[in-house]
Amino acid sequence: MSAPAMARILLIEDDAELGAQIVATLRRAGYDPTWWRTGRHVDPSTLAGLALVILDLMLPDTYGMDILKELRSASEVPVLVLSARNDTADKVRALKLGADDYMTKPFWPEELIERVRARLRRPVLSRVIERVELGRLGLDVATRAAVVDGTPVELTRVEFELLVALARRPGIAVTRTWLAEHVLPPGRDGTERTLDVHVSRLRKKLGSGVRIETVWGIGYRLSTEGT
Amino acid sequence: MRLRTRLAVATLAVTAPMVLGLMWLDGRARHRAAEFVLGDGTARRLQDPELRARCEAAPASWGKPRLRPPPAGARARHPGHAPGPPGGTPPLLYAYDERLVSTNPDAPALDPALRRALDADHDTYPLPARWYHDDVLVLVRTPWATGPCAYVLARGTTSPGFLGALLPASRIWLLPLVAVMIAILVAVGPVIARIRRLTAAVRRTADAGFAHDVDIGGRDEVGELARAFDHAGREVRAQLAAKDQRERALRDFLANTTHDVMIPLTVLQAHLATLREHLGRGTPADPAVLTSAMDEAHYIGALLHNLAVTAKLAAVDPGLLEGQVDLNALVARVVSRHAPIARQRAIALEHAVPDAALTTTADVTLLEQAVSNVVYNAVRHNRTGGHVALILERRDDDRFRIRVIDDGPGIPPEQLERLFERGQRGDQARTRAPDGQGLGLDIATRVARLHGHDLRFGPSEFGGLQVDLEGPLRAAGDDQDEPSSRRSDSITSA
Repeated sequence: MSAPAMARILLIEDDAELGAQIVATLRRAGYDPTWWRTGRHVDPSTLAGLALVILDLMLPDTYGMDILKELRSASEVPVLVLSARNDTADKVRALKLGADDYMTKPFWPEELIERVRARLRRPVLSRVIERVELGRLGLDVATRAAVVDGTPVELTRVEFELLVALARRPGIAVTRTWLAEHVLPPGRDGTERTLDVHVSRLRKKLGSGVRIETVWGIGYRLSTEGT
Repeated sequence: MRLRTRLAVATLAVTAPMVLGLMWLDGRARHRAAEFVLGDGTARRLQDPELRARCEAAPASWGKPRLRPPPAGARARHPGHAPGPPGGTPPLLYAYDERLVSTNPDAPALDPALRRALDADHDTYPLPARWYHDDVLVLVRTPWATGPCAYVLARGTTSPGFLGALLPASRIWLLPLVAVMIAILVAVGPVIARIRRLTAAVRRTADAGFAHDVDIGGRDEVGELARAFDHAGREVRAQLAAKDQRERALRDFLANTTHDVMIPLTVLQAHLATLREHLGRGTPADPAVLTSAMDEAHYIGALLHNLAVTAKLAAVDPGLLEGQVDLNALVARVVSRHAPIARQRAIALEHAVPDAALTTTADVTLLEQAVSNVVYNAVRHNRTGGHVALILERRDDDRFRIRVIDDGPGIPPEQLERLFERGQRGDQARTRAPDGQGLGLDIATRVARLHGHDLRFGPSEFGGLQVDLEGPLRAAGDDQDEPSSRRSDSITSA
C-alpha cells in the first residue's frame, strides 16, 4: 500500500530522543514530518495542507490536551495521540476532545507507521461498488463478467460471488465461516469443505494473474501484492 | 453541654414562654373584670345626688371614702376577680372638671382627648392597662356632667404586691411545673449513667485496637448503640485485615515484579552488549540476538502495561470506566502492536474482522490489554514458522466473539485448570511463572469476569491453544458516548 506522496505530518513531541526517532521513521516511510519540540499556538495557516498531527500528550500535566483542543478548534486534520500512560480516562478524554486515534508507549516504529497509514487511508466504500479494478483483475458485478489481463474468464455463479466477496475487501482476510454463509447457496452440507473446492477451482481458472491466499486459521484473502 | 443541663435548658425553653403567655392572658382577664366592676360600681354610686354636693364642695380632697361592695350580680358574673380587699388597697375616686383637669393634687393627669372617647356613646371608659402594673383606672362621666365634678376617675388594683398585675393570686401552678422538671431530671439519670458506661466501654475497646466487643448488655437504645459500635468495630477490624493483606500482597507483588522486570532487562543488556561487541570487531551481528533483544524489550513493555492493569484490578472493587469500544479498531491495534515482533520471529500473525465495525461497552484499556495478552501469549510461546490468528466475529445472538488460535505448544489441561484457579483467587504474586503462562492470561481472565464476558481456553484444532472471548454487542440505539463508571459487585479480590 503506498502512502500519499510526501504527506505532511506535524509531530509535537518534547522528548528529543523519541522525537528524533519518530522523525527519522516517518521520513524513511516516505512522509514529510515537521517537528515541534514544544506545544505552541497553532494557527489555521500552519495546519493547512497537513495530512496528520502526531501529538504527545506530555503527561503528567494536561498541556497536551490543551493543544489538542486548540488543534481541533482550528482544523479537521486527523490527530494521533501518543501517551505513556495506558489509562482509559486519558483515552476517553482525548477522543472526546477530537483525537482520532491513540497509541501508548512503548511502540515499535513499524507499529507507528502502520497506524499512520491506517489514519491516512481513504475509507473504501465497498458496499456500493459495481465495478472492481484490482491490478490485473476486472470485475463487473452487474453483468457478472470477470476479466484477467483483459481476457474474460468463465466463472460459475458461486465462484463469481466468492471472487467479488474477496475483491470487495482486497488484502483483508475473510473467514471461511463468513464466506460459506454469504457466498455458498444455503442448504448444502459440508459447506466449508465445499468452499475450499470452489476456491481451488477459482484459483485454477484465474491462473497466476490473481492470487487468492489461504490465511492460516482464518480463510482466504485476495492478494494486493504487485497491484 | 452535658446531657442533663441540655435537658433542663430545653425543658425551660419550652415551658417558660408557655407559662408566661398563660400568666399574661390571666392578668388581662383579671384586669378586664376589675375594670368592669370598678366602672359599674362607680357609676351606680354617682346616682346619689348627695354625692354631687359633697364633691363640688371640696373637689380637691373628695373621693377618699370607701366604695360599697359591688352588687351581687356583678360579683357573680366575674367570680374571683373583685378589685380591692381582701388585702388590697381600697379604690379611690378623683374629681375632674369638663376639661379633664383635677384640682386634686394626687389625681393623675389625663389627656383632654379622652373626653371624646367617653362622649361618644359610653358613660365609662377604662384607661389602657400596663402589663407590669396592677392599677385599674376607669374614667366615669357623672350624670350632671358639669362643674368641677363633671368626670370621676376611679382607681383600683387587681391584686396587691409585686407584679400584682401578672402573677395569679395563688402560686399553686408552680407545683406541677417544678414536679415535671424534677421528674425529667431524675428519669434521665440512669440513661446518663448507661451512656457513661458505654463511653468507657467503647474507649476500652478502641484502646485495645477493636480487638474485643463493646459489651454493656441491655435491650434499650443504649444497648442497641453498643451493638452498633460492635458492628462498626468488626467492620473496622475486617477493613484493617483486608488492608494489611493487600499491603502484604502489594509488597510481595512489587518484589516479584522487580525481579521479573530485571530478568528481561538483564537479557536485553546482554544482547545489546553482544551486538556492540560484534560491531566493534567488525563481525556481522547475529540476527537471532537482535530478534531476542527486541523480544525482551517487547516483553518488558507488555509487562509494565500488565502491572498497571494489575494495580487497577488489585483494588477490592475496581471501578470500570466503561464506554463505547470499537472492536475492529481494538483488534487492529492489538495486531499492529505485536506484528513487528511476530514478523521478527517469522510467526504469521493474521487477523480478520467483519466489514461493519462491531462495538461493545467496556473499559477499553482493560479489554485491549486482555486481548493483547492472549495474542502476545500465543506469539511468545510459538515457534519460528508458527501461526497465530485473531478473529473477530458477530454471533447470531448480538454477541461478539474474539477468537485467538495458534499452533504453538498449547497448555496442558491441568495447567489450564491452575490458570483459572489463580484467576479466581486473584493471586497475582507471580508475574512470570516457570511454565510461561503468567500474569497476562491471569489478567485476561479477571478482565473478562469483570466485564461479564465469557473467556474459554481450550486446545485448538491446529494443536495449540484456542482462546474465545465472548460478550454482548452494544445495543442498537444506545448512542450515549459518555463513559460511565460502573462499580462491579461480582468481583472480589483478596
